[in-house]
Amino acid sequence: MAASMTRAEIGEKVFFSHIPDPKFKRNLVSINFIMPLDAATASDNAVVPYILRKGCREIPDFSDFNGKLAELYGASLSAGISKVNGWQVIGVSLSGLDNRFALEGEDITGECASLLAAVALDPKLDKNGVFDEKDTELERRFILDSIEAEINEKRSYALSKCMQAMCAGEPVAVRKYGTAETAGLITARSAAQAYRNMLKTASVEITFTGCGDPSTAKDIFTREFSKVKRKAPGFSLIPLRTTADSVKHEEEVMDVNQAKLVMGFRVGDVTTDEEQYAMRLCSAVLGGTPFSKFFLNVREKLSLCYYCAANYDRYNRLLVVDSGIEYANRKTTQGEIMRQIKAVQDGEVTDEELANTKLLAASSITKSTDSPSAMESWYLHQFFRHGSKGGEAKTPEEDAAALCEVTKTQLVEAARRIQLDTVYCLHGGEEGEGASDAN
Amino acid sequence: MQTKTEIITSPRLGEAYRQIKHSSGLEMRLYPMQGFNHTYALFATKYGSVDTCFKTGEDADFVKVPEGVAHFLEHKMFENEEGDAFIRYAATGASANAYTSFDRTAYLFSCTENFAQSLEILFDFVSRPYFTDETVEKEQGIIGQEIKMYEDNAEFRAYFNLLDAMYHNNPVRIDIVGTEQSIAQIDKELLYRCYNTFYNLGNMVLCVAGGFDIETVLETADRMLSPAKDITIERAQTDEPKSVRLDYIEQNLPVALPLFHIGFKADPAGERDNVKNQIMDDILLEIIAGDSTPLYRRLYDEGLINSEFSGDAMSSRDYSFAVFGGESRDPARVRDEIAKEITRIKAQGIDPKLFGRYKKASYGSYMGIFGKVESVASFMLSAHFAGVEVYSVTEMIAALTVDDLEARLKVSFDVNRSSMSVVKP
Repeated sequence: MAASMTRAEIGEKVFFSHIPDPKFKRNLVSINFIMPLDAATASDNAVVPYILRKGCREIPDFSDFNGKLAELYGASLSAGISKVNGWQVIGVSLSGLDNRFALEGEDITGECASLLAAVALDPKLDKNGVFDEKDTELERRFILDSIEAEINEKRSYALSKCMQAMCAGEPVAVRKYGTAETAGLITARSAAQAYRNMLKTASVEITFTGCGDPSTAKDIFTREFSKVKRKAPGFSLIPLRTTADSVKHEEEVMDVNQAKLVMGFRVGDVTTDEEQYAMRLCSAVLGGTPFSKFFLNVREKLSLCYYCAANYDRYNRLLVVDSGIEYANRKTTQGEIMRQIKAVQDGEVTDEELANTKLLAASSITKSTDSPSAMESWYLHQFFRHGSKGGEAKTPEEDAAALCEVTKTQLVEAARRIQLDTVYCLHGGEEGEGASDAN
Repeated sequence: MQTKTEIITSPRLGEAYRQIKHSSGLEMRLYPMQGFNHTYALFATKYGSVDTCFKTGEDADFVKVPEGVAHFLEHKMFENEEGDAFIRYAATGASANAYTSFDRTAYLFSCTENFAQSLEILFDFVSRPYFTDETVEKEQGIIGQEIKMYEDNAEFRAYFNLLDAMYHNNPVRIDIVGTEQSIAQIDKELLYRCYNTFYNLGNMVLCVAGGFDIETVLETADRMLSPAKDITIERAQTDEPKSVRLDYIEQNLPVALPLFHIGFKADPAGERDNVKNQIMDDILLEIIAGDSTPLYRRLYDEGLINSEFSGDAMSSRDYSFAVFGGESRDPARVRDEIAKEITRIKAQGIDPKLFGRYKKASYGSYMGIFGKVESVASFMLSAHFAGVEVYSVTEMIAALTVDDLEARLKVSFDVNRSSMSVVKP
């Protein structure tokens, strides 16, 4: 059994968390800057980690820097942007083999911690405090390409389009890289300004996950942040609309073979932990397992699709159902999805269904204890739940146990709050208005 | 037949696992991992999409099967008279799945409790085929949608188009899921013939890693598995020319930037040598265009590649190739630059600094496998089908020399045996 997570505030709204487990063979150190998701700053913030990952003041050359990582037994540096609710998370992380496997006694863990701190807090800037022009130009283009490349993956593209249609005007609708227009305006100066701003004002979560000694990492980050004059307002989850006024319909035609149907639902006022667990379980009963209502009916019984899944976004309190289908079958599919939701609302959930869904959900939660990256993301999500005000971080085991406490009555109550908000369909455009619907 | 057990240990890792030949004829690789809360089990047959023409010793003639049968069979195995295996797993809390690749079909589950019951379900449904005209027809609808999903997947298309361009006859060039036309030809008789040929315990392996108990596996196997019939499987050899079929192939799909894959076709070796060749090709991909090389820097700085650029090598059965892939506004330039760099390295030799660096990274990446339950089981599966023992792979890497890599570079990165596949808007 691993020791428990410890968390310390090492600077104003800068937290260092140690998630220990002796069974791991790698250590993962990450730093995440949490900033408000704002259309005006999203692109400048988004380019920052991609510029940072190219080196640091001490090793400014990109090739030398990557060579250094390869020599540390292939230590792997990742930079990324994600969004949680109305917040943009700007992250850089470094994963390296544990010291006990080093062939020549190298301190891989300590070096990885120093390198990550250097990348995040001691970047290469010119004498005016501006990023390298060439680096910025290449990464600006990468952000632009990434925005355009959203159409490459049709399923995630469709999901994102449904979300944008559903939450238009709410902060969560801002895309994580911003838009092509705002990304086009990124300069070395604006990106450096965004970087300095996040250094001063972001809530910062640093995590060390693994079997190694976190003290080097903790010392370096404490020392480096003591040099920064910070004024961080902190963060908390922003509530979205909880009910749907009327159902929005949106269709988009593209040269695709398979249509992607996405249905977005509001789930009412989910405020207590119990209601939150009930909604998570309700989503799993509908479309989160291979014995769910959607899998057994939409896929297995009616052969309408290969996948039909339900996902509950617990930060935004939204339920999203998506499926890849023949365009001509979209009304049949939509009808069947609504029929299955109605069934749960009417209490048509057997004790066995409920018990089996809990068993699978609990198992998949507990499983995260076996992977450093899953544990890191587990605790980041725990910290997000409470925002800067802080609060109890549940272990995966505690969370699984609480999920298993949900009763059928609570589940049915949760289902009754589900309201269809938006239907989005991406398709090849051949079947007219769906007049040739199957059945 | 008696069950035979061998304990394999690694002083480097301070760990051990069991290689077992069960009395039924089934090979097992069992790797208990201390401290891990879940267990991952893979029950696999050496039968994949490349097995398109075969017979057993008892059959009079070879049968040529439509594309996508192995994958179709994988879907159909989940169903029998009593219903769906997923429903049975539901009661144990295991998360189950299956996949079909070029050279294998694997049924898997992961669980945190009720391991014995889940293993029993796994052994049971994979041992009991049940196909009817109705269930075959129903599956054609579901797989039809899976095929369409892949038709819209640009990355997937770019990769399979590349294989189609590199190979003339080798079935590695066909899509694993088949086509709507090919799966329409599948009937229950054909599925039984494929099953009876390849789902023989002598052609299969069970690999388990994580927080489980070895005795539970043996006890369940003793109870569930009957001795396999002694059969021989003959696979028809395809005559594959050395050359690539097409130098260039392209397809239009709604994508932002053109996606490209550049493949180098090599000669396959014996299964054991393929493992070493694949490791060497992976290191060579890094030496040629890894992210600390001069070529990578040039391509990146000129905006010809972005951080999506990567390399991947594959050597198995009767195919061997290495691939560079990414996004570019000018894939032709990328190809030219890679070809020039390969020619330069061949003439000037491999930079010893790059060699040392990427050999170390390769060692790190293989050691990392042993920290993850799924990776350990999958690695044991690949190693078993290749006839090697997992710990020997890190020793293989440790023994590599610059001379080994220079010799391999000459044969595995031949610019005259390369193809490029592009998916563009």
